[in-house]
Amino acid sequence: MMHGTIRSVSCVWVVWVCLFFCSSVTMVGAAPICANAQGGCHVLSLANLFDRVIQHSARTHGISNNLHTEFEQYFMPSKNHIGRVSRNCHTSSILTPNGKDNAQRMAREELTEVILKLLVAWRDPLWHFHQSMAHHHDFNNFSSNKALEMSNMVHELHKGVEKVAEKMQVLGIISNTVSSLVSPEALLASDSSEWRPMRDYDLLYCFRRDSNKVQNYLKILKCRIIPEHGC
Amino acid sequence: MATQDVGAGPRPSPAPAPAPFRITGTRELMLRLPRASPLVRLVSLSSRLTGCASRRERALLGAAAGVHHGRGTEGRETGKTLLWLPLSGAKMRNVFEVMLLLLLLLLPLVTAHAGGQPNSPPGKPVLTSCRSPEKETFTCWWKPGSDGGLSTKHSLFYRKESSDAVHECPDYRTAGENSCFFNKNNTAIWVNYNITVVATNSLGSAYSDPVEVDVVYIVQPNPPENVTVSVMEDKGWPFLRVSWEPPRKADTRSGWITLVYELRVKLKEEDDWETHLAGQQKMFNILSLPSGGEYQVEVRCRPDHGFWSEWSSTSKANVPHHFRRDNSTWILMTVFFAFTFLIVAWLLHLNRHNLKRCILPPVPGPKIKGFDKKLLKSGKSNEIFSALVVPDYPSTPSSNYEDLLVDYLEVYVPTERELQLEESKDPHDDRLKSDSSTSDSDSGRGSCDSHTLLVDKEAKEEARQAECGQTRTEVQRSLKDWDALTYAQIDMVGRDVPSGRVKTWPSLYSPLPRHSSGPLDQQSSLQMAKQHSLSTSSFLAQEASGESYWDVCSHGELPRPLRAKTPPHRGLRARSDADVSGAGLKRAPAGPRSLAPHTSEYVEVQRVNNKDVVLLQPVVTGCYQALPGEVYSKVKRVDSDNILLLQREAREEDGYPGAEQENTTQKASACVYAAVLVQDQMAPMVNGYVDTATMCTLTC
Repeated sequence: MMHGTIRSVSCVWVVWVCLFFCSSVTMVGAAPICANAQGGCHVLSLANLFDRVIQHSARTHGISNNLHTEFEQYFMPSKNHIGRVSRNCHTSSILTPNGKDNAQRMAREELTEVILKLLVAWRDPLWHFHQSMAHHHDFNNFSSNKALEMSNMVHELHKGVEKVAEKMQVLGIISNTVSSLVSPEALLASDSSEWRPMRDYDLLYCFRRDSNKVQNYLKILKCRIIPEHGC
Repeated sequence: MATQDVGAGPRPSPAPAPAPFRITGTRELMLRLPRASPLVRLVSLSSRLTGCASRRERALLGAAAGVHHGRGTEGRETGKTLLWLPLSGAKMRNVFEVMLLLLLLLLPLVTAHAGGQPNSPPGKPVLTSCRSPEKETFTCWWKPGSDGGLSTKHSLFYRKESSDAVHECPDYRTAGENSCFFNKNNTAIWVNYNITVVATNSLGSAYSDPVEVDVVYIVQPNPPENVTVSVMEDKGWPFLRVSWEPPRKADTRSGWITLVYELRVKLKEEDDWETHLAGQQKMFNILSLPSGGEYQVEVRCRPDHGFWSEWSSTSKANVPHHFRRDNSTWILMTVFFAFTFLIVAWLLHLNRHNLKRCILPPVPGPKIKGFDKKLLKSGKSNEIFSALVVPDYPSTPSSNYEDLLVDYLEVYVPTERELQLEESKDPHDDRLKSDSSTSDSDSGRGSCDSHTLLVDKEAKEEARQAECGQTRTEVQRSLKDWDALTYAQIDMVGRDVPSGRVKTWPSLYSPLPRHSSGPLDQQSSLQMAKQHSLSTSSFLAQEASGESYWDVCSHGELPRPLRAKTPPHRGLRARSDADVSGAGLKRAPAGPRSLAPHTSEYVEVQRVNNKDVVLLQPVVTGCYQALPGEVYSKVKRVDSDNILLLQREAREEDGYPGAEQENTTQKASACVYAAVLVQDQMAPMVNGYVDTATMCTLTC
């Protein structure tokens, strides 16, 4: 009997340890960083980080696109909406470059800041969106799961971009002004209750666009910093 | 909303159908005639008019109708266009004149109608599509509505998201007719554009349905450029290497746009394309070319969220002919078949016997024992049939009897005598046993007696002698047989001297064929009964101590002292069931008496009765030397059959009746006896003794 209990306990412990490690590995920010501070090693890992982050953002955008299409099918906006003033996203206060030239003219730090701001701004709204979706009986579980996934991904994406920014700062690619600027403005944006009256559909619309922005900005950033790596 | 609809493609919006007529405030009826035959339309129009015209108009029409038809019926409507005919009470007399008039009137109208619509507001334009080739500029196209007969001007207005300012299209020319081009400065990505087209003419304007456009989602790049196809070789097999460049305008290098490519291939004569997704790379290898010929390749691209571009221009390449088709398949098939064939052949080889039996059943051959096919083939019938003859068949009785002989029952009566005898046993006695190696003694007596060893030894010595070898055997046999007879009940005794059974117990019962009684008796006694050759031989064996005597014979040595067996004191009479021949009586060993100083048991033949039974009696011990007149035998005469008739010398005792003699078996014993017997010429009878030496020189 003793052997049985010991064995089961050890099994459970091993499983738990495995799960813990697996979950930690799958996170975006858990890229292996070279122990020795060699130049080649750092650059390579930055490119790797960038790739991961970009992939993540692409995925996020894909999910948001799907959800938006679903919403359009289920909740066709009435013809009244066509003519009205277009929705006001709560992130419209964040100044984002609206063109290629603008984006290229923007400094790396600024661009990174913008990305981070956007991601921070969307953390809470998405979470609440998911909550509201879960309560709605009209939506199926699939949509609800997608919303949750979206929320999680934004969270991870934010962490990943933070890691990238950190890395860039360490490498001297960008100055150390990024991190300090993130918190206050972003918090303001998220603290504001602008997004509350937003309807689900508008929220989805806004987030779809913003995820696209994030993806595009990340690509620009990557091809500006590491042009030789698949640009 | 319609933002994406425009982007999705030219949406067919139905042109507003012009109203067939309009009733103005005046009395005039404006009837717009379609381009069909005027007369038909006239009729149809008139029918419509009945429904919607007011009474006043109807009256008007009716008047006109009345004018038209020349009938005074009211309510009859006829199509009248622009009838400004003043109502005249006078009727046209002639219908034809009216018709002509109408026609004249209609003609200019028709022509006027065909020429266009004068003064009508324009039709509603429709925005067909908006596209951006590189996500930096975009163009919108619309389809204008009807003209309205007047010069219509189309203008595009747009409004940006979160701004109420309305702007007009900056560029109507660049993209062609009915288009609006937004250059870089006017293009904002991630901004909703609300676009409307307005068609205006002097009479009015028409607004199209608004369309919302976000440039990010309307990207359709140009086709890839510089598509090159080259034929390359890989280990003898040709393959196509296709490479291209992104469209010039799309900026992939800065990461602004990410393009994925797709290409398609087909042979010139084929109809179906084979598409390959190339991802983001700008080079692709087409490896599996079915055959040689001219190949056509086209490439297109697409941004991650956007539309596929058009296919690029076709690039061609000539691939040399090669026998690539199904080579691997053929090889596989060949290997498989070869393998299967090998397995089948192996199985057949394993089962070849079965197969042979199955296919070619064996011809049953003769199954006769001893039948030799080879002999048959050689063709010598004598040999064949001789081979068939089994040497043992028909089996001779003797041999058969020999074979059939059951084990002798050995009756051994342990008495003092015997014990003494046992003690006093000499190796000489063993000779009586004559357990030669040539004969098999299965009675087991060999184990009891150690004398058999010596016997064997003797036998071996004798066997070496070629001359009397056969004799020896016979003698031995006879010795044995005699023993057998004496001791047991013999069922069957073959005529021949049986080979084998040796009775090696020189006991009381060993007869001592010393005496020979009267010649006649002896003679007759010599005649061995048919069945009792054994006895004779055994008698013989007894005679002259058996082997020692014969030993001398074979080796030519000095005559050994014969050993006669002293008859037991008891004077037991040995008697056997079978006939005990007294043939040996003649050969009463004279010698043994003189030669045997040691005690041994002797049995002497008492007599041979009429039944050819030798009656034995033990010789009284004590005087081994020379019982007067007893020990020595005297040759009486030689019979015609080469039988030596011996008689006892000296006295004639009553106690010792003449032993009858038996004939030995004619067969082997003849030889034996011949050996024993002394021939005429021979036998220097000194004192009537038989010279052993000479005896052996007889023919055997």
